[in-house]
Amino acid sequence: MEPAIHVHDVLVIGGGLAGLRASLELGRSGVNVVILSKVHPLRSHSVAAQGGMNAALANSPQGKDDTPERHAFDTVKGSDFLADQDAVELMCREAPSAVFELERLGTVFSRFDDGSIAQRPFGGAGYPRTCYSADRTGHSLLHTLYEQVVGSGLVIFEEFFVTSLVTENGRCTGCIALDIATGKLHGFSGRAVLIATGGFGRIYERSTNAVINTGDGAALALNAGAPLEDMEFVQFHPTTLFGTNILMTEGARGEGGLLQNNAGERFMTRYAPTAMELAPRDIVSRSIQTELDEGRGFPGGYVQLDLRHLGERKIVERLPGIRQIAIDFAGVDPVESPIPVQPGQHYSMGGVAVDNDGASPIQGLYSAGEAACISVHGANRLGGNSLLEALVFGKRAGAAIGRDIGSIPHPSEGAVLAKLEQEQARLARLQSGKGKESLAVIRSGLGRTMESSFGIFREERAMIEGLAAVLDLQERFSRATIGKSPGGFYFGLVQALELGFMLDIAPVVALGAIERRESRGSHFRKDHPKRNDGDHLKHTLVRADFGNLSLSYKDVRLGLFQVEERRY
Amino acid sequence: MNLKVFRFDPETGVRRYQPFELEASPGLTVLSALFQVQERFDGTLSFRYSCRGAVCGSCAMLINKVPRLACRTQLKSLLAQEPVRLASLTAISGGETWDHPNEIVVEPLPNLPVLKDLVVDMRPFFEKYRAVRPYLRSAVEEHSQTRRSRMDPAVEKELELYTNCILCAACYGACPINVQNPGYLGPAALAKLYRFAIDPRDAEGHGRLRAADNPEGWRGCRFHLNCKTVCPRGVPPNLAIGKSQAILKREAGK
Repeated sequence: MEPAIHVHDVLVIGGGLAGLRASLELGRSGVNVVILSKVHPLRSHSVAAQGGMNAALANSPQGKDDTPERHAFDTVKGSDFLADQDAVELMCREAPSAVFELERLGTVFSRFDDGSIAQRPFGGAGYPRTCYSADRTGHSLLHTLYEQVVGSGLVIFEEFFVTSLVTENGRCTGCIALDIATGKLHGFSGRAVLIATGGFGRIYERSTNAVINTGDGAALALNAGAPLEDMEFVQFHPTTLFGTNILMTEGARGEGGLLQNNAGERFMTRYAPTAMELAPRDIVSRSIQTELDEGRGFPGGYVQLDLRHLGERKIVERLPGIRQIAIDFAGVDPVESPIPVQPGQHYSMGGVAVDNDGASPIQGLYSAGEAACISVHGANRLGGNSLLEALVFGKRAGAAIGRDIGSIPHPSEGAVLAKLEQEQARLARLQSGKGKESLAVIRSGLGRTMESSFGIFREERAMIEGLAAVLDLQERFSRATIGKSPGGFYFGLVQALELGFMLDIAPVVALGAIERRESRGSHFRKDHPKRNDGDHLKHTLVRADFGNLSLSYKDVRLGLFQVEERRY
Repeated sequence: MNLKVFRFDPETGVRRYQPFELEASPGLTVLSALFQVQERFDGTLSFRYSCRGAVCGSCAMLINKVPRLACRTQLKSLLAQEPVRLASLTAISGGETWDHPNEIVVEPLPNLPVLKDLVVDMRPFFEKYRAVRPYLRSAVEEHSQTRRSRMDPAVEKELELYTNCILCAACYGACPINVQNPGYLGPAALAKLYRFAIDPRDAEGHGRLRAADNPEGWRGCRFHLNCKTVCPRGVPPNLAIGKSQAILKREAGK
């Protein structure tokens, strides 16, 4: 059978906000770009983002003094000073035009009475700075970009799951993808590849992330020899719905929602007396977890998010999705009762190490959005900055690739063909009959291990045991096989490949966490509870050299703001 | 309880219903139940999924003869409720029966070709979406993109009714007109067209409505209201259709 090789200039992997924004930019400059996405682009996890997107528009009466510089300072402080300050400055400077651009493309933002774009308070921000579409901002932005992609006639390979990148002489020259509908592998040759596959939340048992967020892009890059950066920094969102861990937006607290323990006490007074419920996420999550650990939670392990005092009108107008989710998934109407919430994995600050243009150290390999680490979020991302990052750096990466592409020669297809054969053999072996190892058992073992050893509170012994457990699961996975399935749409195979990716990156998270002997942002070590700028004010880089992980560090780009202690 | 799941093998053409015995624990959704089937009984069962939080639109399917999102439908509430009947929809109300309240039947979304088990071919649905040119063509010049645009909050509220749509195709599966007339644009595409026609930022505005002034568009609707009934986001395509008809009538009378 003749192997299918598709030849294009640029392969964008991922159809969420960053991938679509980059593709539009490339399409506008006339580059031959195609999008590969394992789901229809509208099913990407960007669609689930609720609360909003930060930009210093100064539209709010309480925010008249807001500026991009203040936005940048809040972001750097929120990052526990690990963010690269030039990248943050750039993002915050471009934020207003990113909002106006999406508005012009069709996004319906919520408005103040005077018709200007409404802004709400969010955690760690000095002013009401978060632009929003009720509590479905990601949905509004993603649909707008998809509409424009449709209008531009860009080619999308929908339900194509990328199994491997192709590299040749230190260059990335394509990828191999499984057509989920047919079960057939395709080779793609490209002069540049952009990874925009989102985060890896599903390595944790309790995550707000979509089921599809399995860190494919980080694993692809790692396996292609690219470094991953700051992977130990995993954000736990303070308020996820008890039971299903579906996100309850920070906007709920931005609108005035209160957190209470089992004594009805607003416990944030003890942890962040000034910012209270609107302290950054790492601090609020640790506060809730401390309440739970010290017996002040409700049975099963949750605290309450109380919105009742906001009144039905405000809840219906500003937080309709939250209300519906609470009713559908927890049987609780926030108008009448407090919502049971607990912290849950939410965001991956780390990712493929790239510069401000999205370029990785491997020629031809780029990344943007949650899959990438620039780093604008450092050790802790502020709410409202991820949609912003995806749009600003998706656009920049698209523009940079458009500029670079002229000097990147067309690759030969030989390496693509060779990799295609390798992947065909690997998938055939994986489907060689149902083995003794259950993938479901390995997957839940991974989730539980990451939760217990690399969760909100960490310490050396548990982490070392956790890493050993992950490596054991990795070994068991290498022996696992599944059966064949007739007629395509074999999601069992997709899930097996995703599990392989999750097991590739979990040890990277573990290694970075074990070697970072300090507490910074989301990474909190009970055995090293203080930040240690002398030894650890630097980014972690992990590479895979012939299967062995190697660790190195790089300096944080400072210069704008003084590194100081965080207080809220 | 019994979960009766439609299976289709495109290689052999065999269609059948396969029962799976599950415990309807509190909070268990149809989507989670299908994952349980995959893990415990049959890893080859095919169905689409992503967010599991009722926002991505992947998992619309026919559950007890009503198009719903599998992720937002709980087994216990289905077993407790009397089955809902949709208007004039023999295409889906007929066929396989089930033993309520001991059984739940899960089938692919109607009006779209079945590809494998619960996976349907969404291309006809998205072709109609594309046919209404669902993208804003700005009335403003490119160079003024940094302008501080204002929008009447009342206009924003009306737009929101329709931008809420997640394109899950539940309405398309529930529409009796789509059964009779495969060329009919269907509720989601028509609601999308209306949404752009009333957007003050769009260069074409109401002019867009004329493109669907035919039996494949506004005039095809018979207001069965199944679309509004099944929409998991509360979008009212019937309202968009009625208003569009009224606008066209008014403009024709001028």
